[in-house]
Amino acid sequence: MNTDVSAIDVQNLTVSYGPVPALLDVSVTIPQGQLVGVIGPNGSGKSTFIKSLLGFLRPDFGDIRLFDEPIENSKGRVAYVPQRGAVDWDFPVTVREVALMGRYAKRPIWQNLTAEDRDIADQALEMVRMSDLRNRQIGQLSGGQQQRVFMARAMAQGGDILLLDEPFAGVDAATEHAILDVLERTKASGRTLVVVHHDLTTAAEYFDTIMLLKQRLFAYGSPEQVMHPDLLSQVYEGKLRVFATMDANSSSAGDES
Amino acid sequence: MMASLYDWLVSVQQASPHLMKALLAGGLVSTTCALIGCFIVLRRTSFLADAVAHSMLAGVVAGYLLMKLVYGDSAHTGAMLIGSIISGIITVAMVSFVSRASRVKEDAVIGIMYTGIFALGGVMVSFFSDVIHIDLYHFVIGSLLGVGDADLWMMGTVSCVVVVFIVMTFRWLQIITFDRVMAASIGIPVVLMDYLLTMSTSLVVVSGVRMVGVILVVGLLIAPAATAYLLCDRLRNMLWVSALLGWTGFLMGYIASEYMNVAPGSAIVVVLTAQFMLVFIIAPRYGLLADWRRRLTALPQQEVEDILGSVLRADGEALSLQQIAGYLDKRPERLRRAAASLDRQGLLAGDAQGYTLTDDGRKEARRLLRAHRLWETYLREAGVHEENLHAHAHVLEHVHDEDAVDYLDDKLGHPLTDPHGSEIPEDFLHLVPGELVKLAILREGHTGRIHSIGNLVSDQAIAGETVAVGPREDNGRIWVVSVTDASGNIRTLRLDHEQADDVSIRLD
Repeated sequence: MNTDVSAIDVQNLTVSYGPVPALLDVSVTIPQGQLVGVIGPNGSGKSTFIKSLLGFLRPDFGDIRLFDEPIENSKGRVAYVPQRGAVDWDFPVTVREVALMGRYAKRPIWQNLTAEDRDIADQALEMVRMSDLRNRQIGQLSGGQQQRVFMARAMAQGGDILLLDEPFAGVDAATEHAILDVLERTKASGRTLVVVHHDLTTAAEYFDTIMLLKQRLFAYGSPEQVMHPDLLSQVYEGKLRVFATMDANSSSAGDES
Repeated sequence: MMASLYDWLVSVQQASPHLMKALLAGGLVSTTCALIGCFIVLRRTSFLADAVAHSMLAGVVAGYLLMKLVYGDSAHTGAMLIGSIISGIITVAMVSFVSRASRVKEDAVIGIMYTGIFALGGVMVSFFSDVIHIDLYHFVIGSLLGVGDADLWMMGTVSCVVVVFIVMTFRWLQIITFDRVMAASIGIPVVLMDYLLTMSTSLVVVSGVRMVGVILVVGLLIAPAATAYLLCDRLRNMLWVSALLGWTGFLMGYIASEYMNVAPGSAIVVVLTAQFMLVFIIAPRYGLLADWRRRLTALPQQEVEDILGSVLRADGEALSLQQIAGYLDKRPERLRRAAASLDRQGLLAGDAQGYTLTDDGRKEARRLLRAHRLWETYLREAGVHEENLHAHAHVLEHVHDEDAVDYLDDKLGHPLTDPHGSEIPEDFLHLVPGELVKLAILREGHTGRIHSIGNLVSDQAIAGETVAVGPREDNGRIWVVSVTDASGNIRTLRLDHEQADDVSIRLD
């Protein structure tokens, strides 16, 4: 893989579901090996951005290139951890079967999965410490465990780019820890990560680079540049008051940790 | 067995060729419908399947008309089949187009499209009533006994095509149904697969309508699949079970209709529904009874843990139920069931006059005590007032899964005592002889051998040396270990938390 090429190159991306565009003229270039956080208020197009990178939504306008290739040529190079609410937890599928889905991209439909595929899926489950529950139906797990199963699927797929949609929403401390650990390890292996995140108080701590999105790309840069009160108040409008108090809390509680 | 079955089939065939055909046709159609039904249930497109069934009428009429007017061929099965598939696909295409292009939601669009296309078929039937001889009654109610050779060929072909399709593309069907976004991202042709699935649905619906009629065909699709859904935790198994239930439903319904001389289509769907209701009640995991039983036998976990905690604090002495209730400020009757359950699980020994902990019970209780005291320490760190500590920790100690407690322990710097000065039990889940652990979780008296060493302390010790842990210094913030090197020289190391985390020890 040519390391000079940027992992994700988005130009003038515009996507709409109806008359209102969900994303408007977003241009961003993400170099390889970055851990990028995407923040913005509800309905600001964060998930739409992820789904566009996956090639699931067709842009009205604009161009997305992954490693300098159009999306159609990079199928399977992008692994994805969906938002918890987007998954049918009653679906008849076990933990191990979900992890195995990570291998589907590697095998054409006329070929069976191999023992190697099964080994890789099992290793991925081992890495997130879900091996003991591998035969459980996914609905019978706790929220954090469910999140870890999908992390395992993404790792079994082993793409060069990993997209995560709100992985930290509603998980316990242990899972948050485990996810951060996996993110760090994935980054260390040279892959590129894009993570949708809703918690402004932790965003600066978790990510190298932050994208502030609300239909348009409001800011893209280091946490110090993006997490600027003026900028945030412009994007979050009325909700900033909540943020301001959170900010005050976190700075007073910050010294004890 | 096989021979007698064969003989019986031959005798049936000779006595009543119609019956034989009906059995064959019904078996094929009901199992195939049940297979496709699984995907309809999981994709929540039952209403769309119903729409496809109704819209068939227009296609059947169009196919009939074409053959009649152009070739003069009356009631050509192939043409009617192709017509109904085309009308099914047109319906689905219209529904997805209109619901995407307008603000009208999909269910309303389905309602418009299928009634419209069905009505169009009705108009054509009556307008061309002098050339078309389609019995609308049979279209609505089906006629299993009227199945002819051409129908049978059609049903056989449909079943083969659909089964081969499902077997060949099983992985794709699974992931498209479960996670469309990922399916698209790994290059699976999502839209093409949608259309293939719709075509398969149209195909089985056409054969299903021949058998039970347009109104009941949805039951043939959905009922066995939904029944299997209540029984299975894997898609593969769900397909098998659904096909089997479709077949048993057909067989029982058909036999009953022969004996009672009622319409076979209705009898079959009644049996399919009865199967569903039965399973809905008795399904081992997702059934009504299982749900009731769970609710009846569910013990508040908190009560169970509180009992263990009280008995542990009694320090080896037997505690009566009365005393436990006194500690917990609860009535003894309330605790009786929880205590009995602990007894059954082998965590408590004795009876209501005096309970003691078994070895397993002691372990579990210490685990809870560790969680409780760590939480108290944490709350103290977080600035919770002294007098509220216990009450808060009492609630939080029920969050005691291994990961959470280990995380807490690490964040707090592996404290030795809680804010009241009581000892926090050591991490005995990991401190097992032969295990590989971080030096930081070791307590005074532990011994082991250095397995590996990180950068922070690489200049102070090497792998292979033996260590013995002494009492900690500086309020537990400095780990003191005496290290013995290969030639027997002993030296003392003082490590902080970060350094202690950097050394992994194989326990003796």
